[in-house]
Amino acid sequence: MYRSTGFVSFVLRRLTGIALVLYLIAHIWVIGSVNGGTELFNSRLAAVQTPIFKLAEVALLAAVVYHAFDGVRLLIVHYFDVTEYRKSLFYAAFVVSAILTIAGGLPILLFAFQG
Amino acid sequence: MRVFQIQRISAIALLVFLTIHMTVVHYPPFHIDFGRIIDRMGQPLWKAIDIAFLFFVLLHAISGSYAVLIDLGGVARMKRTLAASAILLAIVGFVYGTLTILAFQPPV
Amino acid sequence: MASPVRSKSMATVRVKRFNPDSDAKPYMQEFQVPNLQGTTLLDALHRIKHEQDGSLTFRRSCRHAICGSCAMNVNGRNILVCKTPLQGQLDRKGVVTIKPLPYLPIIKDLVVDRSTFWNEYLRVKPWLVPPATSPEREFRMSPEEVAALHNAETCIMCGACYSACQVVALNKKYIGPHALLKSFLRVLDPRDTIPGERLAEVGTDEGVFRCHTIFNCIDACPKNLNPTQAIETLRRLAQKRTAFEAARVERQRTIAGPLAAEPTPAAEGGVRHVP
Repeated sequence: MYRSTGFVSFVLRRLTGIALVLYLIAHIWVIGSVNGGTELFNSRLAAVQTPIFKLAEVALLAAVVYHAFDGVRLLIVHYFDVTEYRKSLFYAAFVVSAILTIAGGLPILLFAFQG
Repeated sequence: MRVFQIQRISAIALLVFLTIHMTVVHYPPFHIDFGRIIDRMGQPLWKAIDIAFLFFVLLHAISGSYAVLIDLGGVARMKRTLAASAILLAIVGFVYGTLTILAFQPPV
Repeated sequence: MASPVRSKSMATVRVKRFNPDSDAKPYMQEFQVPNLQGTTLLDALHRIKHEQDGSLTFRRSCRHAICGSCAMNVNGRNILVCKTPLQGQLDRKGVVTIKPLPYLPIIKDLVVDRSTFWNEYLRVKPWLVPPATSPEREFRMSPEEVAALHNAETCIMCGACYSACQVVALNKKYIGPHALLKSFLRVLDPRDTIPGERLAEVGTDEGVFRCHTIFNCIDACPKNLNPTQAIETLRRLAQKRTAFEAARVERQRTIAGPLAAEPTPAAEGGVRHVP
């Protein structure tokens, strides 16, 4: 294995990407239940709003945000000649996604455990 | 090249749509049910936004999965079959998703 | 960081050994060599081969970083062992680990099979394809063009970038950073007549669009070249291939034509040189 920040970002990009595709399938299944009527929709939606799912939601948020900012980083590398700043850009993407995950995750957890 | 371009364009579109989706639908993070979202989902403009969102999400997810799979030397040999099934999957997903979005009607 | 003379008089060199005739799989073997200032890793390997185990096999030739034979994986990094001091690579216990280039089939000990490396290299037509008739006057280039090409020209084909690339590891059909850098060199050369054909060859999902911007090629290059930037440039050019090709044809036509048709020196930013 040839380890580097670039490799870490590549693996994380792939893993979060695959996780998000799996989530998308589940999401379509849950929201698609509206075709079966309001009752089914509400019950299925309530089932995925228990505290365990709220924790998973924070992980989902982290995956989405990291995947997005990793993508922004790649767009920057593609459109501007900044390969010499590759390490700084990687850490910047990491810090920005960490901040956004905390900012978005805290309200989710506060709501889930305090009501 | 086409997969690369699709990924870049849909990625930029998703940055916009996902920001809207996250802030409007999931913030603040109260309990969500049919009654809470029907006000918004009843409007044609929001339906249009969500259909566009669905389009770009599927584009990004399916071309992304395709790119992940053909990275593997063995799978790359079957890439025509893979591309065909990816397009088929995208169409099925888009039709089903659009029907779902259109099904959000206020109860009569 | 090369450190001054250590207290330890001997250094431990851990080498990955593999003899296809007798070994089922590779194993690590340790050798002790004198820990002297000025000793390179290649010197240490030679010392082992000459004094301790003549069967140790590795490639080397010029021993001054130009032949590209001795790229190996030292402490997890692909480097040229001939230009790397031994002392700078020793850890706190005085140990250095030398393995063959990763992701490539091992032939014996530190020698790897580089056939895919060379096949992909030939695939991009690494030679220049000049116009059929040579023009009366010289092809003039801007200083920026010269700088960009000069950089790519100094590649020594050692394979450090190729074997550091995880895309290569996953899929040997990927053209690879070394060949894409060479393609970049030819595509941007104003004398080349087939930039469109080249861009069509590398602008596929086996070429520049397979790159996942992992940057290992930059980190691994012993000549401080930048294959990733070359790949990003080729990506941009591949997306406007027709326009780029037309511009090249126009540029060469201007040079081959009468003197008056040539752009003024001021417009090109160069010094006018009347033939």
